[in-house]
Parts: sequence; C-alpha cells; structure tokens
Amino acid sequence: MKPIYVITAALCLILPAFAHAELKWEQTTLELNPGPSEKQAIGHFKYENTGDKPVHFKSVKTSCGCTAAQSQKDQVGPGEKGEITATFNIGDRTGPQVKTVTVETDDTANPVTQLTLKANIKLILEVQPNFVFWQSGEEPKAKTVIAKAGKDVPVKDIQVTSPNPQFETKVEKGSAPGEFKINIQPKQTSAPAFTTIAVKPDYPKDSPKTYYVNARITAPPAKPVVSPAAAVSSPAGPGSGH
Amino acid sequence: MKLSAFKQALILFLLAEVPAIGEAVYFRGQVSWHSRAGESHMVSLSTAQSWGDNVIWVDARPDDQFAADHIPGAVSLNEDHWNDQIQPFVQTVWAPGKKTIVYCGSESCNLALDVAERLRKDANLPDVYVLSGGWEEWLKNKK
Repeated sequence: MKPIYVITAALCLILPAFAHAELKWEQTTLELNPGPSEKQAIGHFKYENTGDKPVHFKSVKTSCGCTAAQSQKDQVGPGEKGEITATFNIGDRTGPQVKTVTVETDDTANPVTQLTLKANIKLILEVQPNFVFWQSGEEPKAKTVIAKAGKDVPVKDIQVTSPNPQFETKVEKGSAPGEFKINIQPKQTSAPAFTTIAVKPDYPKDSPKTYYVNARITAPPAKPVVSPAAAVSSPAGPGSGH
Repeated sequence: MKLSAFKQALILFLLAEVPAIGEAVYFRGQVSWHSRAGESHMVSLSTAQSWGDNVIWVDARPDDQFAADHIPGAVSLNEDHWNDQIQPFVQTVWAPGKKTIVYCGSESCNLALDVAERLRKDANLPDVYVLSGGWEEWLKNKK
C-alpha cells in the first residue's frame, strides 16, 4: 500500500472533524437566578450563521410544558445573527431547575443542538414533610415537621397557625440556625379530620411567603367488596344502614 | 517508502482517535446518561392496569393538556399550581394503601418525575410511581 492511500484515508477521517457547524451559538447553557417574586425566567440563546449558506430551523422543542421556546426567524442567512428565547414558567417550583430546548436545523454538520436553561430558584424555607397523617383509630402521637431556612436566608423565627383546633402545634428551635421543629398533634383520631397549617417565616420582612403543612386523620380503610352471594347471606351488609 | 500493514493500521487508528478525542472534550458534560427515576419507581401500563382500583392516577401535564383529555379518574397535579393542588389531593384523593401513578406527555417528559419526586420527598407519600411512556403510551394502548 502506497503512502498516498494512507494520506487519503487519513484526510477522509480528519476533514469531517474540522468541518464546523454553520450556526454558531454564543452559549448553549445559560444559568439564571430569578428573584423570589419573579414568575418567569427568560434565557436568550444567541447564534450567528458563520457559514456561506442559509440555515433553516426545522423544529424547536422544549423538554417540558413549563418552558416555551421560539426562534425569531425560520431562516438565517450567511452572516446573520439571531436568538432563540426560552421562557421558563416558574410556577410553584423551587430549587435548581434544568430545562432543555432541542433545536433542529438543516445544517448537515450539526443538525441538532441542545440548549440548556438552568434556573436556580431561591428557597426561602423548606418545610418537610408538608403532609402528615394518622389513620383512624391510631394513637394520636405528635408528628414532627422540619422547617429549614434556605442557604444564606436569615430566617430568625416562624409563626405557625392551625385553623382547626383538633390539631395542636408547637414550635421548637432546631439544632442549626434557621431550623425549626413543628410538632403537630391531633386531639383524637376517632373521626376523619383535616387542616392546613400555615407556616410564616419572618423573612423577607415586607412580603413573607406563607408555606403550608397539611395534616389529616384518614377514614378507616374501606371494607372489602362483598360479593352479591355473600351480601344475600349477610343481612347487615354494606349500605344496610341503621 | 513502504509501510507494513500493521503500521498503516496503527496510523489509521491513531488518526481516527484525533477527532474522537476532540469530540469527547468538546461535548464533555453535555450529555446526561443517567436517569433520575430509579427502575423501581417506573411502572409499565400493563402492571398499572393489573393493580385495578387500587391506583390513583396523577396527571402532571400542564392544565390545558389535562383539560383536553386525560386518563379516566386522573387528577391534575403539576408544579405550575402545586401549592393550590396539593391540598385537595392529600385531603380528599389520596388514601393510605393506594398506589399513586404519575404520568406526563411521553417517555422523554420530565414533569412526572418532578411531581413524583415531590410527592415522595415533600409530602412523604409511599408507593409513588411514574408511568413508563406516559400519556402517549396510554393512547397507544387505548386504540
């Protein structure tokens, strides 16, 4: 085999690797830090067509219904710039969120690009668990919920209120600063009951957000379904009343 | 200049490595190969259906998609309105001993994973699963 064949084969392998995508993205990952009162986090993914032919967008898809993405144009001419805007609706989400946008073009060198939008939604107070329950007839022992301030959030105190007097609450300081133990205890568990306990931190002073803990005494487990034959043989079957 | 077959193969291999290494460096960290949902938390439609009435279906898709159509008996619970929807869910829908199955649009959708994780972690509910294939799988089997 002559060296020329080796060189030709080598070029066939290497040259495609050096062919760059015509649509060049400024950034494919954006990190946003929306404030506690913001409803949306918006990312602008900027691009430029550095090639010598137009690029057409085939599709722009998001990873979740909570994120919308749109392109300014369907076709990007050589040398043209533009952006894809990704709007993430925060809703009641907390903590770090990662959403992706998949962009498909007719750029043969790089037909699919994944854009990543990272939004770190600041957590003021983490309340866990936010649901406690007792089964009907269970011993009415207190159950503990932990309320913990987010990182670098100066919560000094919390106010806890239960609208249902059937459920008593008691707050204790936790082992770490900004940590609280909320003890919830039903007076009895003989009848189904429910309450939504409000937990209000003292931060931010001007507009503190209220967090909720649901407490419930569940109904007794449903009795197994009685077959018609069994119901006939049992005069006191379900629905027979008093 | 004559090269042995072995040397030529070696040269070709090394040259092939150049773009491969370049791609690996360029795309590092851009591809996630792990799934957040453990295998034990995913459930197939046939398994879910075999559980019969002992199941609570939770639709994690946005409100408009739920309103358009949903699995019969499903309740809407998504992170857009989590604080409003979680209260009626744990108050009247959920019951001890029942299995909760969350679904969203399709296999690639993450909404069900997020809602299921929140039900397990925040609300401390046991037996929370995610439907493999989501709503698309349900529709496929409905036909």
